[in-house]
Amino acid sequence: MSKILVCYKWVLDEQDIRVNAADASLDSSRAKYKISDYDKNAIEEAVLLQEGQGATVDAVTFGGDAVKQSLKDLLSRGPDKVFYIADPSADKADGYVTAGVIAAAARKTGPYDLIICGEGSADSYNQQVAPRLAANLGLPSITYVQSLKLEGGRVVATRKLGDCTEVVTVEGPAVVSVVPEINKPRIPSLKQVLAAAKKPAEEIKIADLGLSPKQLTAKTVSLTVKGFVMNRKNILFKEPAQADNVAKLVAALAKEGVC
Amino acid sequence: MPGILIFSENNAIALELVTAGLGLKATMNHSLCAVALSEPDAAALAAAGADKVFLLNGQDWPEGCAQPIAELAARELAAVILIGGTARGKDIAAKVACGLDAGLVTEAQTIEIAEDKLQTTRLKYGGLAVACEATGLPAVVTIAPRTFDKAVAGDGQGQVIALDAAAGDPRVKVSDLCPIERHGVDIASAARVVCVGRGLAKQEDLALAEDLAKALSAEIGCTRGIAEDYHWLPVERYIGISGQNIKSELYLSLGVSGQVQHVAGIRDAKVIVAVDTNEKAPIFAAADYGIVGDLYEVAPLITAALKK
Ligand SMILES: Cc1cc2nc3c(=O)[nH]c(=O)nc-3n(C[C@H](O)[C@H](O)[C@H](O)COP(=O)(O)OP(=O)(O)OC[C@H]3O[C@@H](n4cnc5c(N)ncnc54)[C@H](O)[C@@H]3O)c2cc1C
Ligand SMILES: Nc1ncnc2c1ncn2[C@@H]1O[C@H](COP(=O)(O)O)[C@@H](O)[C@H]1O
Repeated sequence: MSKILVCYKWVLDEQDIRVNAADASLDSSRAKYKISDYDKNAIEEAVLLQEGQGATVDAVTFGGDAVKQSLKDLLSRGPDKVFYIADPSADKADGYVTAGVIAAAARKTGPYDLIICGEGSADSYNQQVAPRLAANLGLPSITYVQSLKLEGGRVVATRKLGDCTEVVTVEGPAVVSVVPEINKPRIPSLKQVLAAAKKPAEEIKIADLGLSPKQLTAKTVSLTVKGFVMNRKNILFKEPAQADNVAKLVAALAKEGVC
Repeated sequence: MPGILIFSENNAIALELVTAGLGLKATMNHSLCAVALSEPDAAALAAAGADKVFLLNGQDWPEGCAQPIAELAARELAAVILIGGTARGKDIAAKVACGLDAGLVTEAQTIEIAEDKLQTTRLKYGGLAVACEATGLPAVVTIAPRTFDKAVAGDGQGQVIALDAAAGDPRVKVSDLCPIERHGVDIASAARVVCVGRGLAKQEDLALAEDLAKALSAEIGCTRGIAEDYHWLPVERYIGISGQNIKSELYLSLGVSGQVQHVAGIRDAKVIVAVDTNEKAPIFAAADYGIVGDLYEVAPLITAALKK
């Protein structure tokens, strides 16, 4: 039976992050965490393969202490087991460190026939962890996959590349990143949520991964992060009759010289 | 001599990277090298100002160039490697970065050298914020298409050096290359845009937006879901952090909630108008003018009012 690993990131929900208009600083004190949007597609794809042809699905995440909150949500989406690396150093990790940590974890818990990532993480959207992970593990990578099949020991994927599509076939294991249109992630049922409580979640200590201090030091360091402040007129037309609102809008647009 | 190395499998983008590279060259005082996949491309890059162009032969899958580019960058002691931010380019960049044991900045908007590091800015949190970051050298950077103007052909005398690429990975087979048809509109440079979102109930109802667009002499744009999930409009029409950036004088949305990933693509529009049933939709905070209402009622009224 095939063994699949799916990688997901536990990220702050950007919808809850406020930009302070005065100094453009970010206020994430009220922000909740979520499974990175496109990783839900990665998880769903792994679970579809699990249901379609029988496969075991492991999941892995690397993050700060908060990742522990993600385990139940993750397991209710279908994977059989989750490995998590919870370490404060994750806050400063870039694609280089993250891919190194996940590769080391996958070496410990694998080998896998297929590793699935999302197209890009919702917070940093680096789109680099999947191909880096592949390079670290000495595997071929297939990025931007819109349809995926496992045929025996072979991975067959259609890539979507802006101006074309192409089919990539890899003999043996591969790392893929999937685009969101590959599937529609399910909302976990009550039964799945209950079943999740019985599934295993295993912590892997970062110190047990055998990585050198250099491998745990980010190549890219954040200097400043500044929110965008939108300075717009914010005029809402609120007459009871829409015809009146439309008349006001068209008058305003005429005044702006754009209609 | 440590230098700057640029590559894009799309030569129009490679010429934009020449502009970016020449900017760095002015401060770094290093040579600007480029990798090209065909003779005409190599000649164009040399004419536009690349000091040395390596013509990589024998790779028909651009992704297969990652390893030879990494080897070349190591041999030429390249300090900054700029790669065009197409899907293929981002894949290649990650592998080049791994080969060089280097950092990679995705879709940098600005690049400069400061204190022997590469300093870049890029969007974070779906476009909510801009992060300024420093990366030790060597550093790999991808740059989105149209971030820089194309370098024009001058009297560049750059040398062209042929290079044989390594054989591809025997485990990988590529087939069924199939171009996606382009429909000719360039939403990024449209003067006016009517944008539809998932407030639209069915594809046929696009007619309503098209009528309005006609009355405004506008192009139709959309959110990612309309293009990528529903396939109601071609992907080059979707606006946002992973789609197009528009700079139109008018942007008018119908049934667009205005999540930050979308709004990141409309910030440069001069006037923003939103129509949405949900008064709390974030699009209203990003808009100059708004009408809270059903697009099926409001859009035809606007069309009619404009026709008067
Ligand atoms: C990493 C990442 C990158 C992304 N990149 C992009 C991107 O580049 N571009 C992009 O667009 N999105 C992008 N997204 C998706 C984005 O987060 C939003 O999900 C998307 O923009 C929402 O599209 P929408 O407004 O069409 O749909 P919804 O959010 O579903 O909004 C529909 C709106 O229609 C309104 N409505 C419903 N019925 C009516 C009616 N009859 N009349 C009027 N209004 C009505 C609703 O009130 C609602 O506000 C990205 C997401 C992620 C995670
Ligand atoms: N910290 C992490 N833990 C687990 N998987 C991750 C992590 N960061 C990134 N990934 C995976 O790599 C993909 C691409 O991330 P990125 O390169 O940050 O855009 C994500 O969609 C995830 O599948």
